[in-house]
Order: sequence, then C-alpha cells, then structure tokens
Amino acid sequence: MSLQYVFIEAFNNIRRNALVVLGAILAVFISLLLMFGTLIFGEIARINTLRWSEDVRVIVFLRDEFRDVDELQEEVQGWEEVAEVFYLSKSAAYDEALELLRNNTAARRVIEEQPTILPASLRVRPADLTDYDTIVQRLQGSPGVEQIITAGPQVDALAGLRDGLRVVFWVLSIALGVAAVALIANTIHMAIYARREEIEIMRLVGASNWFVRIPFLLEGMLEGLFGGILAIAVAVFVYRLSLDRLTDLPTFINIQIGNEFLVRWGVLTLVFGVLVGAVGSSLSLAVHRYLRT
Amino acid sequence: MIRLENVTKVYDGGVVAVKDVALEIAKGEFVFLVGPSGSGKSTLIRLMMREDQPTNGDIWVAGKHASAMANWKIPHLRRSIGTVFQDFKLLPNKTVYENVAFALEVTGRPRSVIRNQVPQVLKLVGLSANAERYPRQLSGGEQQRVSIARAFVNRPLILLADEPTGNLDPATSVGIMRILDRINRTGTTVVMATHDHAIVDAMRRRVVQLERGRLVRDQRSGVYERRSRSAGAITEELVAPLAVPPAPRLDPEIPARQPETASPPPPAAEVAPTPSAPPPEAALPEDEPETTS
Repeated sequence: MSLQYVFIEAFNNIRRNALVVLGAILAVFISLLLMFGTLIFGEIARINTLRWSEDVRVIVFLRDEFRDVDELQEEVQGWEEVAEVFYLSKSAAYDEALELLRNNTAARRVIEEQPTILPASLRVRPADLTDYDTIVQRLQGSPGVEQIITAGPQVDALAGLRDGLRVVFWVLSIALGVAAVALIANTIHMAIYARREEIEIMRLVGASNWFVRIPFLLEGMLEGLFGGILAIAVAVFVYRLSLDRLTDLPTFINIQIGNEFLVRWGVLTLVFGVLVGAVGSSLSLAVHRYLRT
Repeated sequence: MIRLENVTKVYDGGVVAVKDVALEIAKGEFVFLVGPSGSGKSTLIRLMMREDQPTNGDIWVAGKHASAMANWKIPHLRRSIGTVFQDFKLLPNKTVYENVAFALEVTGRPRSVIRNQVPQVLKLVGLSANAERYPRQLSGGEQQRVSIARAFVNRPLILLADEPTGNLDPATSVGIMRILDRINRTGTTVVMATHDHAIVDAMRRRVVQLERGRLVRDQRSGVYERRSRSAGAITEELVAPLAVPPAPRLDPEIPARQPETASPPPPAAEVAPTPSAPPPEAALPEDEPETTS
C-alpha cells in the first residue's frame, strides 16, 4: 500500500469533519498543555527545593575531621522527632552543588576548582515536617557539627504548593486525557461512518483489514500530534514570556530550566499526544461494526 | 470450485435461512439460484463469500475451506471472488474508471497493472466511452456494468451475483446477462441468484431452486420454475397472506406467474425467443420437478 494513499485518506477525513476534529485536537491540546506545564513547573520547583527534596528539613554540615559519623547518625535516627537520617558524602555534596548552581557560572567555577571544599552532611527528615526546632536544639551541642541549616517557611510553602499543585494538575491532565481519547474516538467513529460505503466495498473486493484501518489510525495519531505541537508551542511561549517579564523575582528563586529538559519532555509530550490519538482511534476501530469481520 | 456440505444457517432470533443444503459447483459452471424472496438465495451467496458463517456444515470456495478460515484470511478469499449486487454499490464520488480501479488499488496492485487492466475490463462491459463519467450520470444498466467490471477486474475464479438484474428493465437485463455469459466463457464460475423467469428460461443453464431454505431442485439446463403439485402448494401457501386471491387457480397458467408480479413481464425477444412464454409452462408440468442433488 502506498504511503501517499494513506496520508491523503487521513487528511481528507480530517478536512471533512473539520469542526469535530478541531474539538478533539483542542482536548488533546489542553490536556497536554496542563501536563507539560506541570512538568515545567515541577522542574522549577525541584531546582529551587533540591536540597529539601524527600522532605529533608534540617541539614547538619559536619567537620571534615569528624570521624564518628556512623555513631552520630545512629543516635539521631533513634530520636522520636526524627523520621529518617541519611548521610551525604563530600563527593555527593559536590555533585549536588553543581546541579544547584547550574545557572551560576561564577560560583560553580569556584567549586570546580576546589572539589573538596564542600562538607559532608547529615540530612534529617523530621517526623513532623513543620516542627523541627527540637532537632536543631538537640544537635547543636554535638561534637562533629560545623553548622546547621533548616528549610524555613519559604521552602515549606513552596514544597507544599508543589505537592498540592502536582496532584491537582495530574488529576486534571488525566481526566482531560481520557476526554481527549474519547473525543478522538468520536471523530474516528464519524469518519468511519462517513466512509462506510467505501469500507464495505473495500472489504468486498478483498482489501486487507490493515489497509482499511491504517488511514483511520493515522488520522487519530495526527490529531494527537497536532494537539501536542500546539500544547508545546503555547507552553514554551508562555514560559519564555515569563522569563522576560519576571525579572524582579527574589534572588533565591531560580526559574531557569535547561533546554535539555524542555526538549526531552517536549518530545515525550508529543509521543504521548500521538499515543492518545492511537488509543482513541483504536478504540473506535475495535468497536465499529463496519469493520468487524 | 464451490462445495457446500450440509450447510445450515440460523440467524439470531431463530430464523432458519438455509437448511441442510448440499451443493457442488464445478469450475466454469453457470448456476442460477432461484426461489422466492426469503428462500435463502442471498444467504447462500453471503455464505459463499464468507460474509456470514454457517451455523452448521462446511463450505469450500476456490479451494479454500471458507467456513473454517480465520477472519484475517477473508480478504485473500475475497480476491478470488467477484461480487455483484442488485444495488450496484458504486462510490458516487468516483468516476467509472476510479470505481473499477479502486478494487485493484485497495488490494495493493501496482499502478501499471491498474492502467493496463481497467481499460480492458471497461471495454469488456462496453463502457470505454464512459470511463470519466460519474455513476449518477449513468443509467441503471450502465451502473451495473461498472459494478461487474469492478468485480471482474482482478480476474476472480468465481463471480457471485445477487439479483444483478433486480433493479433493471428486461431489455437492460439482457445486456447484463450477455456480459455475465461472456465472463463465464472465460472460464469464470458464475453463480447468480435471481427472480427473473425470463432470463433463467432463456439461458438454459443449471438451475438450483430453494424453497424456505431447502434445496428442492437442481437441474441441468433448467428453467425458472416447474411446478409439481407440491411445489405449487408450497408457493400458494407462501403467497396466501398476500392480496392474491385464490381465484387464479381456476386458470392453470396464471398461478405460475401471478405470485411473482414484481418480476419483469415479457422478456426481450433477443434472449427469449418465446417471450412471456406461458405455453412452455403449460407443456412442462409433470417434468421431473424435484431432482434434489
């Protein structure tokens, strides 16, 4: 079967039901926009709360000459205010710093010149995420402790916001994704119905099942792809716009995310859009009586 | 070429369309399936093209065990069967040429084959001059010739025709029968379900008669209907609910025709030298009516 035939058929279908197809594409678009937006927002939040991920609220930097790390870790782990303690070595601290300072070349260069400048640390996840003063007080006297820093209210707020929004966004994305699948299934259903005579004749003269189906499958995938492209274009546009406009943010907030991230997740979002289209059209093809053998 | 063994088809809801039919059709034969509406002719055609599955029994078509084959193999079976229907089933938005070419396109034949075969088969059916016309610009007979061309363009082993002259006037029907005869002479097996007395009587080919799903007669060089008393009784019983009063019984010639008033009256002189021939019927009443094979 010629590729040209398949594409012409798919495009003709889309043209014939322009309005319904537009609805389906918009559904894919909104769903994927939310998904991609959530990913971007999540990345920004992650960059800004990197050290405080996994609910770490207290970081205990250790003196380089301190040897009894294991004992200290064990002791702190035993406290009832503490949910978990883990150890971050000097080399791990170096990796973390490079990530944290990704957009701060000057600071990064300083660290790169002296990879051992950063201390090892204990990271503490408190049992109660909003109350960790006791832990700080109890640690203060310990012999190996160089410095203690805590998350503070901004991080608590940002992390809370991040988790909350993430749930809302994912639920919305999934719900809209399901709607998008259903709408695409509907457009394919209409396309099949519109062409039922042609399908009947194709089957009479012995066209293979795939020959009959592939144009419809492709149509759904194209609709998903268009929705995905639209979503990415809008998301990237809005993101770029906010980079330009939001110049007076507090310095501790960093909204720069790498292009690599945008490209990787952009491609995945497109793939997901195509997948939504494929699932939608497959559903329609599977249930349609004109195609049943 | 076609073999049916004890074939029974019961549709959902318990309607017995075909009951225990055994039939063997050799390569190159021309067979008429006759019988009143609802006698199972169309069901038999549908079973032969594997549009339906028999409830019981086995069917072999073109060397393949059609009743037992997997669904995905049906397209390959169909490529060795051409099908023609009462309602032509042409695509209105395609020209005559495109309608015929469609059968080759969707079975993935190369363009060179299409360019070669389509004009040939259009010539065979006498439509070379109308290749660029659309079906709506053609008469019924011409449309049926297009559909025959489409059925024959990939040189099938078997041509199945379900009342191909059902919508046509007698003179036009003659033209259609000439083409089917010509196709039969190329070695193609032709099976034609029909109500058309004149055609069957004029062609003098093998006649298989069905009554209420049963095969009641299989006759070489047969005519449409020869009534034994029992067959006549069956017909009357079937017709009784209709508005045809028992009065015609008085005249031995009328009951044979009258139930079938829908079928064309006097056939064209070219095919039937003895048009509307009541005499033969009167002459043949006791002639071995039931030679069930």
